[in-house]
Amino acid sequence: MSPKAAPVTFNRRTMVWFAAIVVMVNGFFPAVWILLTSLKTETELIRSPITYLPEAPTLANYDTAFTAQPILRFMANSLVVAGLSTALCVLVSALAAYALTRLRMPHRNLIMSVLLAVSMFPLISLMVPLFKLMRELGLLNTYLALILPYAVLSLPVCTLVMASFFQDIPPDLEAAAMVDGCSRVGALFRIVVPLSAPGVFTAAILAFVNAWDEFLLALTMMNRVSMRTLSVGITLYQGEFAFPWPLISAALIIALVPICLLIAIFQERVVGGLTAGGVKG
Amino acid sequence: MRRKDLSEPALGALLLLPAALLLLAIVVYPIATLFWTSLHAVDNANPAAGEHWAGVENYTRAFDDGRFWHSTLQTAIYIAVTVPGALVVGLGLALLANRPFRVKWPVRLSLLLPWALPLVFAGLIFRWFFEYNTGVVNDVLGRLGAEPLQWLSSPTLATAAVCIAIVWKASSFMALMLLAGLQTIPKSLYEAAEVDGASKWQQFREITLPMLRPAIFVALIFRTITAIQTFDIPYAMTGGGPGDATETLAMYIHKTTLDFLDFGYGSALAALMFVFSMVATSGYLRYTRRSVGRGADA
Repeated sequence: MSPKAAPVTFNRRTMVWFAAIVVMVNGFFPAVWILLTSLKTETELIRSPITYLPEAPTLANYDTAFTAQPILRFMANSLVVAGLSTALCVLVSALAAYALTRLRMPHRNLIMSVLLAVSMFPLISLMVPLFKLMRELGLLNTYLALILPYAVLSLPVCTLVMASFFQDIPPDLEAAAMVDGCSRVGALFRIVVPLSAPGVFTAAILAFVNAWDEFLLALTMMNRVSMRTLSVGITLYQGEFAFPWPLISAALIIALVPICLLIAIFQERVVGGLTAGGVKG
Repeated sequence: MRRKDLSEPALGALLLLPAALLLLAIVVYPIATLFWTSLHAVDNANPAAGEHWAGVENYTRAFDDGRFWHSTLQTAIYIAVTVPGALVVGLGLALLANRPFRVKWPVRLSLLLPWALPLVFAGLIFRWFFEYNTGVVNDVLGRLGAEPLQWLSSPTLATAAVCIAIVWKASSFMALMLLAGLQTIPKSLYEAAEVDGASKWQQFREITLPMLRPAIFVALIFRTITAIQTFDIPYAMTGGGPGDATETLAMYIHKTTLDFLDFGYGSALAALMFVFSMVATSGYLRYTRRSVGRGADA
């Protein structure tokens, strides 16, 4: 409105564009670079100077990625492990979050603190005894060897996220349900959980991504190739000394599809969950 | 029927039971056996005899073990570089992402993708970036007129490369948390400062930073705890090499236990790491208890 308005809006718009481009290049460049690499041939790769865009794009690397290693099997393993551990984690955390937010519990803060402390235990110090435990139980190379630890791994953050959602449900609704003959636990599953569906959902996504990304335990508990999860399986494409980058890139791109879909569809929930778990934790 | 008769604390205890059992089985019991195992050793001359009581032998052995100290120092370097590094980069990204974009999803996705990407994938991708002949980093250096660098075969440069990869991977999560903090700062504060003629830099120092302090603190603790456990990225990028130069304590523990099958010593090292990590956590808990305790009811 003032005579100065025009240059100011211009500046602001450039700043906004600049900001968007910097953030996007930072976030997407690695993925874009392996996408480009996955379309190149080995011979194009070793040329000097290196090419940026593939000269003769080929999908051959994707073919090889599917045949060189059982990548679909890795993906299925990851799905089973991440899916079941998420289900277990969400169920157990929902019960805990309900107890901690909707019931008059003694030592509530102490329990919360213990949960927080547990979430900070270094995984590597659990890895050694868990490996021994699973070996004694004969659970190595079974899904259970990962499902149980992964469920526990995400338990604290899921409990915190769900607790922050459960807190906001008016107690009257629950009371009304109980007057109508619902038990307390019935009220949890019929009133509290459905009303805080976004929170339950967010917790589930966080648990799923945590399990999907985990590497150390997956490397430790599963040494049979057919039981490898995706994060470990992807490292099997490299030889001892040779790194066939176009092939590895193609495998990485394939492996990225599920996780990209997940964050693209549920982006707002994920951001909300991350910050609820973080800021409130 | 009977369930209704339970008092609230009793029902609460019942609902907490599954979580407690899982934690006991997967965390408490293993940690207890970790310390127990760390006091035992296997006689190399007679491995069939199994583990025998060794007292603190494993711990004194760690004290004399150069590789333990080196991997601990290396971990300390990763902490010292990547915690402030990810904070600065993450804060920068958060400030940039806090602009009033009309379409929000591209920026949000570009912060989410590095977070959701498995650490191993990031490690592999950055290994590819830092390849000597075919990597994009040396290509860019070349275009800028610099000499290509032997990133992954010099201990110092390999450490730097690993740090860069970790900072990239960690900064987006940092940015997401700080962004949430930025969005809670009332706009009126900036408007008032504007009226008072405060410069952008003054506004940042006097409003943004102080208001962000809780978010920064939480983000820093998260990063520190994660940095103590650094494993995936150097594992995928360098495999600990050249030699053992970039090996972290977590990698050494993994190798001791699963490659050398020395459970006693591996457990002692893991117990030491547990203690390091708990020292960091206790500071955090003290802080949250102070700030949360005031508002909470019980």
